[in-house]
Amino acid sequence: MMHEPQTLTPATETKMTARDVKVFYGDKQAIKGVSIDVDMDNVTAFIGPSGCGKSTFLRTLNRMNDTVASARVEGAITLDGEDIYAPSMDVVQLRARVGMVFQKPNPFPKSIYENIAYGPRIHGLAAGKADLDVIVEKSLRRAGLWDEVKDRLHDSGTALSGGQQQRLCIGRAIAVEPEVILMDEPCSALDPIATAKIEELIHELRGRYAIVIVTHNMQQAARVSQRTAFFHLGELVEYGVTSDIFTNPRQERTKDYITGRYG
Amino acid sequence: MSATRNPTDWKSDVMQKRIARRYAAERRFKLMGLFAVMLSAAFLAFLLFTMLGNGLRGFTRTEIALQVDFPASPLLLDPANITDQGLVGANLPMVTSEVAKKALGPDADALLSPTAWTSIRDAIKADPKILSRTETISVPASTVIDLAAKGKGSPQAEAAVARLKQQGVLSTGFNASFLTGSDGTDPTQVGIWGAFKGSLLTMLVTLLLSFPVGVATALYLEEYARKSWWTDIIEVSINNLAAVPSIIFGLLGLSIFLNFMHLPRSAALVGGMTLALMTMPVIVIAGRNAIKSVPPSIRDAALGIGASPVQVVFQHVLPLALPGILTGTIIGMARALGETAPLLMIGMRAFIATPPGGITDPATVLPVQIFLWSDEVSKGFVEKTSAAIIVLLVFLLAMNGLAIYLRNKFEKRW
Repeated sequence: MMHEPQTLTPATETKMTARDVKVFYGDKQAIKGVSIDVDMDNVTAFIGPSGCGKSTFLRTLNRMNDTVASARVEGAITLDGEDIYAPSMDVVQLRARVGMVFQKPNPFPKSIYENIAYGPRIHGLAAGKADLDVIVEKSLRRAGLWDEVKDRLHDSGTALSGGQQQRLCIGRAIAVEPEVILMDEPCSALDPIATAKIEELIHELRGRYAIVIVTHNMQQAARVSQRTAFFHLGELVEYGVTSDIFTNPRQERTKDYITGRYG
Repeated sequence: MSATRNPTDWKSDVMQKRIARRYAAERRFKLMGLFAVMLSAAFLAFLLFTMLGNGLRGFTRTEIALQVDFPASPLLLDPANITDQGLVGANLPMVTSEVAKKALGPDADALLSPTAWTSIRDAIKADPKILSRTETISVPASTVIDLAAKGKGSPQAEAAVARLKQQGVLSTGFNASFLTGSDGTDPTQVGIWGAFKGSLLTMLVTLLLSFPVGVATALYLEEYARKSWWTDIIEVSINNLAAVPSIIFGLLGLSIFLNFMHLPRSAALVGGMTLALMTMPVIVIAGRNAIKSVPPSIRDAALGIGASPVQVVFQHVLPLALPGILTGTIIGMARALGETAPLLMIGMRAFIATPPGGITDPATVLPVQIFLWSDEVSKGFVEKTSAAIIVLLVFLLAMNGLAIYLRNKFEKRW
């Protein structure tokens, strides 16, 4: 899969900011003061060895950590300048605005159509059946899945191949018109061809949504992102333009990681 | 300097013996398993064989065909007044006895069931026009004749049966009134419908109370309750409740529903409430396990696109857990259906000759009816008891079949 070199678009709009975010699981501190900006026009990749906290941090961005009883978040995270941990923020609406794609493809055990239609339906985004049909087609097209499934929209979503399931999950996230899409190692369970398709899809979605992708695959980060953040032991070691991180890391630990010294 | 190891000799005697031992152990284990399966199959076959052997006779009844010449009979009945009231007032028992004596001889009263006249009454009710002609009506034979006709009588009775057979009036056929009647004193007339309906109503009350409460409890404990010593205590209590002997629940029902709340005694309502207490913990335990086994990725997926916790529970978790919850519910209901002891405590062992009209009417249930009949002195009740057991088993099988159907219908694979 060849793409033009990953050039950084000058950021026009900062979508999310995190300032000195700390996450605790009980007494154990998992994230130690991370500050980061996510903008609309560039894909941000989080890399780092297993257990470094990159997924944990990602899950603070749409408050999925709320479901873990022992988790506690400190610091400030904003979406369009609004504090997402403020009591006035509705977490249901937040998760519609900040969508998420998970490590393992997790379509609902329902039809392909129902998988896509579920989000718009619970948020009241479709005016009727015809409108919903339009949303489903548009979302599947954007997820690059329409041509493969248009004749079997009412087959089970779980009968698709792994890569198709993951694109279905991306389509499901897109269907509620989010502003940010968080992807938590979306290709770790997929084969190289399916992975290439997802990466291409990320290119196409860039600019329309602010995208944050967690990956343990450094080549993938280099291919899909314009900004890269390197996490290690709960700290944000280095955050910068992807090409700089990979060709000219400023921190010793980043250099050790990308040259394969540990990971 | 490390010692060099010789290459393993896989063909040595020690190795061969080890292999032989391993195979022998596997064969022994297989044989034991096979023996266990055969043993349980044999018990099941024995149970079915004896049950069907005894019980199927309970579904048949020996009848004697009587030629009733209505115009010539001393029947006192106003043909214009063929109502229940009018028929009860008519001298049908006497007429029946007269007709029988004329046809079968002076010992006719011992040949016919004491309630044989009700068959004639029913025939008149069905078609009043027979009053103007001679009609052949089959009436039930007495218990002694019934048993003798089925090969289980005394020599005198056998002789009487032989005589009746010669006359060509004796017939043994399917006894529909066993399925439509209720408890009675005469084994030829008793039926299972009253107890069946009582069981049905009791199960309905049990299901309506224990299913929603059980499922709601399971959902709350799994999805909402925070882990604390308080939920631990609740969990332990529920697990213990499931193991409490059923008669204790009967005592509880007696003291709370009857003595304290003054609900009607012997009613399906109280029986159902008592059994619901017993069934609920089973549903809670099965429900929690089913909810636990819903993959967390489905919850993540729904939360991730902004479903509220209630939407996650009712649109994703519950539908996926439903097959497991249903299985647990049916196990609990099957246990409740077979329960006798707690129902005896709340007075459902009364003699009840009319089917209950509603959940507050006095009723009995199938297992209690079986228990009551097995206690009867008259020999005719032996086969009725077995027949009632067959009805109970068929009821159980139907319930289990329904459960399997529902489970397969709702089961989703992923």
